[in-house]
Amino acid sequence: MSSTAVTFPRQGSTFAPLADEKKDGHVRAHAIQTVNASADALYQLWRREEFVPLWMEGVVSITRTGDRTSHWVMSDPGTGKQFEFDSEIIDDEPGQHLSMCVIEGMGKGSTDDITFEPHPSGRGTVVTLISDFVMPGGVVGNAVAAVVSRSPRQMTIENLRHLKQLAESGEIPRVEGQPHGKRGVMGRWKEFMLGETNPTPPGTSEREQRQDYPKQNELGDKREVA
Amino acid sequence: MKAVCWTGTGKMEVQTVKDPEILNPHDAIIRITRTAICGSDLHLYDGYIPTMETGDIVGHEFMGIVEEVGSEVKNLQRGDRIVVPFTISCGNCFFCKKQLWSLCDNTNPNAHVAEKMYGYSGSALFGYSHIYGGYAGGQAQYARVPFADVGPLKIESDIPDEKVLFLSDIFPTGYQAAVQADIEPGDTVAVWGCGPVGLFTIASAYMLGASNVIAIDRFPERLALARDYCGATVIDYSQDDVSVIEALRDLTHGIGPDSCVDAVGMEAHGTDVVAAYDKVKQALMMETDRPYVLRQAIQAVRKGGTLSIPGVYGGAIDKVNFGAAFGKGINMKMGQTDMQKYLRPLLQRIEDGQLDPTFLISHRIGIEQAPEMYKVWRDKEQHVTKIVIDPWQDRIAA
Repeated sequence: MSSTAVTFPRQGSTFAPLADEKKDGHVRAHAIQTVNASADALYQLWRREEFVPLWMEGVVSITRTGDRTSHWVMSDPGTGKQFEFDSEIIDDEPGQHLSMCVIEGMGKGSTDDITFEPHPSGRGTVVTLISDFVMPGGVVGNAVAAVVSRSPRQMTIENLRHLKQLAESGEIPRVEGQPHGKRGVMGRWKEFMLGETNPTPPGTSEREQRQDYPKQNELGDKREVA
Repeated sequence: MKAVCWTGTGKMEVQTVKDPEILNPHDAIIRITRTAICGSDLHLYDGYIPTMETGDIVGHEFMGIVEEVGSEVKNLQRGDRIVVPFTISCGNCFFCKKQLWSLCDNTNPNAHVAEKMYGYSGSALFGYSHIYGGYAGGQAQYARVPFADVGPLKIESDIPDEKVLFLSDIFPTGYQAAVQADIEPGDTVAVWGCGPVGLFTIASAYMLGASNVIAIDRFPERLALARDYCGATVIDYSQDDVSVIEALRDLTHGIGPDSCVDAVGMEAHGTDVVAAYDKVKQALMMETDRPYVLRQAIQAVRKGGTLSIPGVYGGAIDKVNFGAAFGKGINMKMGQTDMQKYLRPLLQRIEDGQLDPTFLISHRIGIEQAPEMYKVWRDKEQHVTKIVIDPWQDRIAA
């Protein structure tokens, strides 16, 4: 028997939580997903203004206004009320990192920070989204938003989920528009309580598909059929 | 089109609803030729699955003819005959790539609801509440099939619908239960519940090398199918002098079954005071599931044996003797069925004539009869063992 010491593949470390907090009118939330797609494809879906409305909730339109700036029109999924802001990209490392900030309009000072990293054991690309929302109405506004439509935290999670679904499967799953029997009062109340009255982003849906959406293979998606 | 809709606990109605249409590029629309009522549909009917909405179209065992395909569906075309597995899988996520099709990441539009209850969301299912996606089901004349290029099994031969219909759920589910029982040649397997999944588990256990299968139920027609068609040794637990655990000990020469299969799930029936306790607690909503069979199987299985659970559980259970599970070092395997793994091999077995799945059909009905047959199915009247629906007929005379 040889008496060589065990070689550990890595150094140990202590988990440090990503801060989710609510204070001073800010709500900070994070979401993390491992996506079976290339970092470049995911970066493109996020960086190019024309693709963002396909998967991000509540986007009515994004207009490029400069090299790093754009004008966003959003719609609150709960109330249908529209609001607008201008956004600037403050850090842009293609395929690795994006950071953007609201410079004018609703939620001025809000930021999104997105990193794209290879999964340590090759399961795809790890996308981490950290959103810092400047809330109109502060923390109370956040609580209200959670009841009428989506809380900022849930919105962060859903947006990243939709990105993953679009990149991995080529569409965003939806049940809006399918047949059902008479819902009645109880049925409609449950639909609302489960968040099903929030519109699903179009993804590649037949009725709302953008003609210039890149084909799957351009996204580096090698979807296999069983 | 006509569709069977859930309208509340103990209520199903046939309603006329709009026809489904293509919503996403991997969708197909099929004209349903045959569909069936599953044992797990009774959990919806009895109101134990919490996220049903009034008007939901139920049904997850169906097959039909492709009417229309979305722009990205490459391997199906109008006119193809397909069996649709009850789980919906994208085919490209980490879980699908690992053949864990029922745990697909990308098909549940209500994943956030499942995440709150279960931590993570599995794949969506057809017609099985909104925690599983809220997709319209297949007890209807047409259905929309998402990811139609990944899920459905194309039937190329002229084999009749009824022989392949049960590939949509219960045959693969029973087969996976036997696979997860880790059967070795010479093993004895005990199966609780001789409903369709239990019967397919018995047959599959023999296919996988079991030397004896013991089946436990109380309905004569089910025990008869298990004994006479599937070659099981049967125990009728409703008889006064029968203790299931004693019987299993005697039948296994004092060792206990090598594997136990709970093909009953959350609405188990028993005959003693503990069963009554569960019934009361479930009725008071203090416990969502009645784990009577689970407790018995943990007690009965041999040391180091395996417990396989195809029966559906939805939420919290109590008074489960986890100490017994630990003390005997047993293995447990469970979950929805990874359908795509089994479809082709099982179709092959049917086409080779190894098993004719039609043996368990007791009722053939038209769609208007579905609501009344749900009651028959729940109350186990008319010697019912499996109900198949032709959605294009209103009523079929018995």
